Amino acid sequence: MPAKIPRRTTLVGMAATFSTLAAKPVYAQGMGTVLITGASRGIGFEFAKRYAETGWTVIATARDPAMAEPLKALAKAHKNIRIEKLDVSDVKAVDALAEKLKGTAIDVLINNAGISGGSQNQKVGAIKYEVFDDVMHTNVLGPIKMAEAFAPHVAASTQKKIISISSTEGSLAGISARPDVNSIFYRASKSALNMAMINMAKALKDKGIIVIMLSPGLVQTDFVGDLRLPIMISAEQSVAMTMPIIARVTMDDTGKYFRHTGDLAAW
Amino acid sequence: MTDDIERRDVLIATAMFTTMLGMGFWTEAAMAADAKPSTTVLITGASRGIGTEFVKQYAARGYTVIATARDPAKAVDLQALAKANKNISIERMDVLDHASIDALAAKLKGKPIDILVNNAGIGGGGVNQVFGKINYAVFDDVMKTNVEGPLKVSEAFIDNVAASNMKKIMMVSSSQGSVASVRSASLYFYRASKSALNMVTVNLAKALKDKGVIVGMVAPGATDTDFMIEVRGRMPLGKPSERTAGMIVQIDAFTMEKSGQFFEWNGETVPW
Repeated sequence: MPAKIPRRTTLVGMAATFSTLAAKPVYAQGMGTVLITGASRGIGFEFAKRYAETGWTVIATARDPAMAEPLKALAKAHKNIRIEKLDVSDVKAVDALAEKLKGTAIDVLINNAGISGGSQNQKVGAIKYEVFDDVMHTNVLGPIKMAEAFAPHVAASTQKKIISISSTEGSLAGISARPDVNSIFYRASKSALNMAMINMAKALKDKGIIVIMLSPGLVQTDFVGDLRLPIMISAEQSVAMTMPIIARVTMDDTGKYFRHTGDLAAW
Repeated sequence: MTDDIERRDVLIATAMFTTMLGMGFWTEAAMAADAKPSTTVLITGASRGIGTEFVKQYAARGYTVIATARDPAKAVDLQALAKANKNISIERMDVLDHASIDALAAKLKGKPIDILVNNAGIGGGGVNQVFGKINYAVFDDVMKTNVEGPLKVSEAFIDNVAASNMKKIMMVSSSQGSVASVRSASLYFYRASKSALNMVTVNLAKALKDKGVIVGMVAPGATDTDFMIEVRGRMPLGKPSERTAGMIVQIDAFTMEKSGQFFEWNGETVPW
């Protein structure tokens, strides 16, 4: 399976070498409009920054834009970024934003907003069930609702892509093969997200919309707290690796679950 | 299952005979016979469908059965079953109501439970999960009943299961939760809940390994119960008695080596 992507990369790379676009990264080709949820920090912020720098029109959503100082500064520096207030777990708020943006074509919708629920709350024997709903609403219900509400905007675009930021922590095969028990709700939410998005891919195929799940790698953001591991990458590195994947996926890839390396993750 | 009962009777008869002969090596057989009635199974969502079948079949085996239901007063079939079988007791427990789970765990404190069957589950209604008309109001019920509930019940009864002989926690999952097997879009929440349940189970299996507790998933396949009311007549549905008997065979076969794995009622491995 992974053979496909490297081969594509090579082809794209060869084509680029012989064209005037050679100096431009692959994601700079075919600029459009991207909507990124959870853009106030971490990977979401980095997506907003990188797409804006590349010349895309960026709709960056955040639960509390007033508190999102770096995002506000970014939007000040880049006229092509617009900030919208949105809590993805609030179904009515998603509908309201979809209505507000009615008629706007969105080439790429990135369901990035996600929470971990705190690993200290998810230890077997002392599980804090009060975080369950928050994790499931933000990580599962939110992306489903976003895809449903914004399908018309995406269908009206040129590129027609819905990207859900998942995690290899949601890989049943991957986790089964590992000894560690960690963040049981978070992992379950990502397995659930993958399942929901596979269904979404089937539902939206007729509209020409490509739906993929993307694991960003183990990224050093607020999300992982104080955790520091040698395999960790920065949000900048992660986004630099995943934007080309987003740019190159076609309808042949719909419903697939990619790692940041471009390889497919195991279910 | 009837084989087991007969085997036990044979063992008892043999034991009595050998005792009468004064040969003195009856103890092992008698202990094996004694071990049977002390086997206890707790089944959630026992008021109907597959849950009731589990109760019926485990009771027929001679196991002590604790059958839980949200509303025992309305569980007429279960009540009749308990009336006819002294080894069935009915307890009120709603897997959505953590206080009710904790209350039953407190009541059963110190009582070994050999097999905990997390059977309670809901579909959420196919009509609520159609693209373009998804009813988000059912999301919580599906996720909390199918994912949070089984985890909370398992956590609450860990000590009971760890104190038993068989030490098994079994989830009634579904091949609808198989991420690798989706053919067409439907049941977004239900499917997602079963994928999530599977992930919870995989983690629980690892977390409880040191306690010697075996954790696994079994699936009944499409079965002719109220659960499938929306599709009845439109697709082949298995008999609840056969599918449950199949799952019991899989549960019997679960060992620590298989902990964290997922089997269909017929023994097939369900792909992730």
